[in-house]
Amino acid sequence: MFNARITVPPQAKAGEPVEIKVLVRHPMDRGGQSDGKGGIVPRKILNRMTATYAGAEIFRIDMNTGVAANPFVSFCTRAVETGDIVFEWREDGGATYTRTARLTVA
Amino acid sequence: MSFPISPRSGRSEALSRREAVAIAAAGLALATWPEMSRAAETETMDDLVRRVTEGTVPAEGGVRLEIPALVENGNSVDVRIAVDSPMTEAAHVRWIHLIADKNPFPDMARIHLSPRAGRAEVAITLRLAQSQTVAAVVAHSDGRYAIARAPVVVTLSACIDGG
Repeated sequence: MFNARITVPPQAKAGEPVEIKVLVRHPMDRGGQSDGKGGIVPRKILNRMTATYAGAEIFRIDMNTGVAANPFVSFCTRAVETGDIVFEWREDGGATYTRTARLTVA
Repeated sequence: MSFPISPRSGRSEALSRREAVAIAAAGLALATWPEMSRAAETETMDDLVRRVTEGTVPAEGGVRLEIPALVENGNSVDVRIAVDSPMTEAAHVRWIHLIADKNPFPDMARIHLSPRAGRAEVAITLRLAQSQTVAAVVAHSDGRYAIARAPVVVTLSACIDGG
């Protein structure tokens, strides 16, 4: 069910802020509905996304049920060096997903 | 870092028997004072903001909250927030907290930023239950808080399946 599309600029100038766009495919099930068998569907959303780049966490978002299904997130970071931006999502229930995107700095 | 979602948001769906009895008893008691019962169940935007800022009243201005005034589908609402901040080690935005006072869980998200961001500008898609006010509370590194509010009209609610 999980799929992420990460867009970084093809090339960045050192010291300049660049915009990074992340589109995730995830139902972000807010839970609470009847499951038809007398029970209640548990909440299952991505509750956190972190982005790590050049040795430090540059962005983190804690999400609740108020975030849309298939959420889009965009943020800025100052280009420091050519390297991978590592994204990690944490899902209700403990599952984690990791993706990387390479930022090239001229 | 403490988890930012407020206790109200974190409550579990299932009530214990004791809680259910207590709520039923409270309901009976409050039924005679409808004004009070309404006040007990709805928190105003100011209450929600005060919990996030730990009692401080945030200043208006310095935050741009871009959200459509009329939303046709509350299931996915594009929001862009930009904060006037140099984003240096000395003065930067620590976090941006998004509140929708009439959502079942008013605390929608908290976005943590660092001086590495370079520019305090973020975008996200939200879910809105009904027409209401959306607020973005910003915590600056020097301890100041700022807020931007925007009224939104939602024609199709995100909570339509009876969930």
